[in-house]
Amino acid sequence: MATENGSATSSDWQDRYYHVDQILDRPGPRTDPSFLAGDEVKDFLRNKCKILVIGAGGLGCEILANLALTGFKDIHVIDMDTIDISNLNRQFLFRPADVGRPKAIVAAEYVMKRVPGIKVTPYYGKIQDKGDDYYLQFNLVICGLDSVEARRWINATLVNLVDPENPESLKPLIDGGTEGFKGQARVILPTVSSCYECSLDMLNKPTTFPICTIANTPRLPEHCIEWASVLEWPRARGDEKLDTDDPEHIGWLYSIAAARAKEFKIEGVTWSLTQGVVKNVIPAIASTNAIIAAACCNEAFKIATSSAAYLNNYFMLIGTEGVYSYTFEHEKRDHCPVCGGEALEMSISREWTVEQLMELLTEKQNIQIKKPSLATPENPIYFQQPPQLEEAMRPNLEKKVSELVPDGGEITVTASSLPFSLSLIITYV
Amino acid sequence: MSSQDSQDIVTATTAIESAPDAKTRRYDRQLRLWAATGQSALESSRVLVISASATSSSILKNLVLPGIGHFTILDHAKVSHSDAGNNFFLEGSDSIGKYRSEEAVRLLSELNDGVEGRANTRTLEDILESQPEWITSFTIVIAHNLDHSLLHKLSALLWKDSRYPPLVAVRSAGFLADFYIQFHEHTIIESHSETSPSLRIDKPFPALRELALSLEYDKMDPTEHGHIPYVVILVRALEDWKKSHGNSLPKSYDERQQFKKGILALKMKGDEENFDEAEAQAYRCWTETKIPSEIAVLFSDPALSTDTLNTSTSPFFHLLAALKEFAAQSEIHTLPLTSTLPDMKSDTQNYIQLQRLYKARAEEEKQAFKSYLQVPVDDAMVDSFIKNAHALVVLRGKTWGAFDEDKGALAESLSTMPKETCIHLALSALSLLQASDTSVSPSAESIRAKMQSIVGQSIKLPDEADDAIGEIARAPFSELPNTAAFLGGMVAQEVIKMITKQYVPVKGYCVIDLIETWTGTIGA
Repeated sequence: MATENGSATSSDWQDRYYHVDQILDRPGPRTDPSFLAGDEVKDFLRNKCKILVIGAGGLGCEILANLALTGFKDIHVIDMDTIDISNLNRQFLFRPADVGRPKAIVAAEYVMKRVPGIKVTPYYGKIQDKGDDYYLQFNLVICGLDSVEARRWINATLVNLVDPENPESLKPLIDGGTEGFKGQARVILPTVSSCYECSLDMLNKPTTFPICTIANTPRLPEHCIEWASVLEWPRARGDEKLDTDDPEHIGWLYSIAAARAKEFKIEGVTWSLTQGVVKNVIPAIASTNAIIAAACCNEAFKIATSSAAYLNNYFMLIGTEGVYSYTFEHEKRDHCPVCGGEALEMSISREWTVEQLMELLTEKQNIQIKKPSLATPENPIYFQQPPQLEEAMRPNLEKKVSELVPDGGEITVTASSLPFSLSLIITYV
Repeated sequence: MSSQDSQDIVTATTAIESAPDAKTRRYDRQLRLWAATGQSALESSRVLVISASATSSSILKNLVLPGIGHFTILDHAKVSHSDAGNNFFLEGSDSIGKYRSEEAVRLLSELNDGVEGRANTRTLEDILESQPEWITSFTIVIAHNLDHSLLHKLSALLWKDSRYPPLVAVRSAGFLADFYIQFHEHTIIESHSETSPSLRIDKPFPALRELALSLEYDKMDPTEHGHIPYVVILVRALEDWKKSHGNSLPKSYDERQQFKKGILALKMKGDEENFDEAEAQAYRCWTETKIPSEIAVLFSDPALSTDTLNTSTSPFFHLLAALKEFAAQSEIHTLPLTSTLPDMKSDTQNYIQLQRLYKARAEEEKQAFKSYLQVPVDDAMVDSFIKNAHALVVLRGKTWGAFDEDKGALAESLSTMPKETCIHLALSALSLLQASDTSVSPSAESIRAKMQSIVGQSIKLPDEADDAIGEIARAPFSELPNTAAFLGGMVAQEVIKMITKQYVPVKGYCVIDLIETWTGTIGA
């Protein structure tokens, strides 16, 4: 579609980029001297730059529209989800007739129809389906995800991709996230600046309820709902998988939870709360997504064109009381298992079992590795996979760590779902 | 407990709802923020937006999606080549030459069947002249990059009467922007504050005190002992302390540490989490239950004076007057108790028992509160008011542009928030320059001269002025898609807060710099 010399394409009409060109034709007072005003930068943005958008949901829809208007013409989008009716209050590229269709495909079609001359290539599937070669083709990656695990995966993948010999292998990652009236946008230069894993301890701890409270001494409506979903569902419905989008399933849980609440004289079990608890629903609105998505796309534009300095490196917004925002530089963590390079020292009791250590690795705010596998440089301690190996090593869970690892010894921790490993130096107290 | 209460509990715990309807499912993620009351306020609202620019369309997108009742776009311009390039609510070159307002309304309306959209292709001058009552009939008016003198006329019209709609004035150029909400008065019951009301541990109501004094720790079995809610533990510990300390509270640091140690010493077993929780919450014993200072200030609000409070006053001020009277009459001079009890380590029986004590007492105080009301107020509103009495908000605003005429305030703002103030002034200068000559791009020198004339010749502009001036001179007529989308979210968010009267809207000029990516507020 692009012409040889790359200035204009057939779908561009005169003055199409009047607004953006005012920025690209001349530097501002805070523009870096490396900025190449004029045709060269426009050519790169419009004909050469290839950008990947991860997520075609609340943020993704906004991101795709903004990028298309800004002049990015080769956009790829990945999303594994299909459209649900509850998306329609904010995911503005979808209509009621699209419910059930893949988000990535519908979003790509819509943007191409509305903004002529833009190519949006959708992939309906998981980010983990794609390998290094796929990610290497892009200049920039923008994430609009609601999943911590997916963010950790792409972050670690892009950090691993960096080859010091090849500057092109460094793919700036722009990450946005929202919850209700709050949100954040950040720029991550893999290996150079603080990465997603470096800031893991900023996440709120998820609410969990002790199983004995749920089973014996409920106080809150949430306890009754957990009772219905965690204990009663498997008891009454056997192996049937709970589908939190199936109204029949939610209705069943709701009636069981309501009966339990009645028995214990607890108020407040509603349909909406039942769905909220079992699905872990996060409130989401169009306006917050618009702000955060715009901030992300603005960073993509500035990085792709050097027309202005980019965010260094974290923008946090709280819109519940006035407009409060905080822009700051999040620092790299030396012990970050993804980009830090230094082993983490951990002191534990000589009496601790391998299982206790694994629990700590799952819960600790700055580690949070679910289903860890452990090994010393010499011997495996415990592997989650494959099943035969897991079975063979299971007796180790009961053993004391001090029987398997000397004082000052190293343990390498790997997570089955994340492409990185963490080195621990174990000392005993 | 009264039979009324037990009936409430029976209905509250037995009524089974059917699956939510399509509309509730569609709006589920936002109903969790502003509930049915906020949604119904949105659905009754009528929003006027002046200009169909990319920014205006973005603002409207974020209002149509959550479901406002009606919007009108007032714009007489036809779609230009450049409009077609930066506005998602135009169909590229196909829209060129058509009315901007009609195209934008058509495409915005596709987002939500429940919203009515209208285009009006008259000019604002004409309507201001011949039909101002049409403008004042809306719930709120939003204007983007409006000509300086027209904005002045519009703001003057909307300022004339306190019942007229608020005005949101939005300005942007390149990476820089600001916006201002002009309103006379804005009252908020549901501010969604994160502070929680007092549990009255230091001033327990009789039933709570009785419960605490009836505890016989030594006669309890370990299960019972491990399930006493911390509130009861603290009330008892404080009563005991006062008895042995001449009726005074733990005051010094040492006394407070001693008090906390005393709580932990009550443990029967090391792992009793309820006592750990009591120790962690011990500060509540010396946090006096009283009227929060922000609420005490509201008690001297001019709207409460007997000459102004009448049947046409909004229910909010009648409720506030009743609250003031309640506080004056209450033995402990405080706000009515709310029945919301936070979760705490306990078992079902102890927790529900305590919850019911709070509920019963809250009901009594609510009846007392209602006896001070001079006009009938809907019961749901009374409940909400009491629940939020510790976090009520009354905002009073100024007319748009008053800040730019207040040289003292500008000078102060330039020294305390130079970056924000310079961007605001540079945008003001741009709009003044455009008003005098729309044909040429203003130079950096002319922008600086205009800024200087706004602040007065005696004030030296800070170094930060260069950044703002340079950026405005670089792109004076540029409406960047990302800036438009950012403003679209920001402004819609504030408009939602204004319409629903929930959460707290920004007061003053919200200034945005999308180079360093920050926001700031000045001129409140």
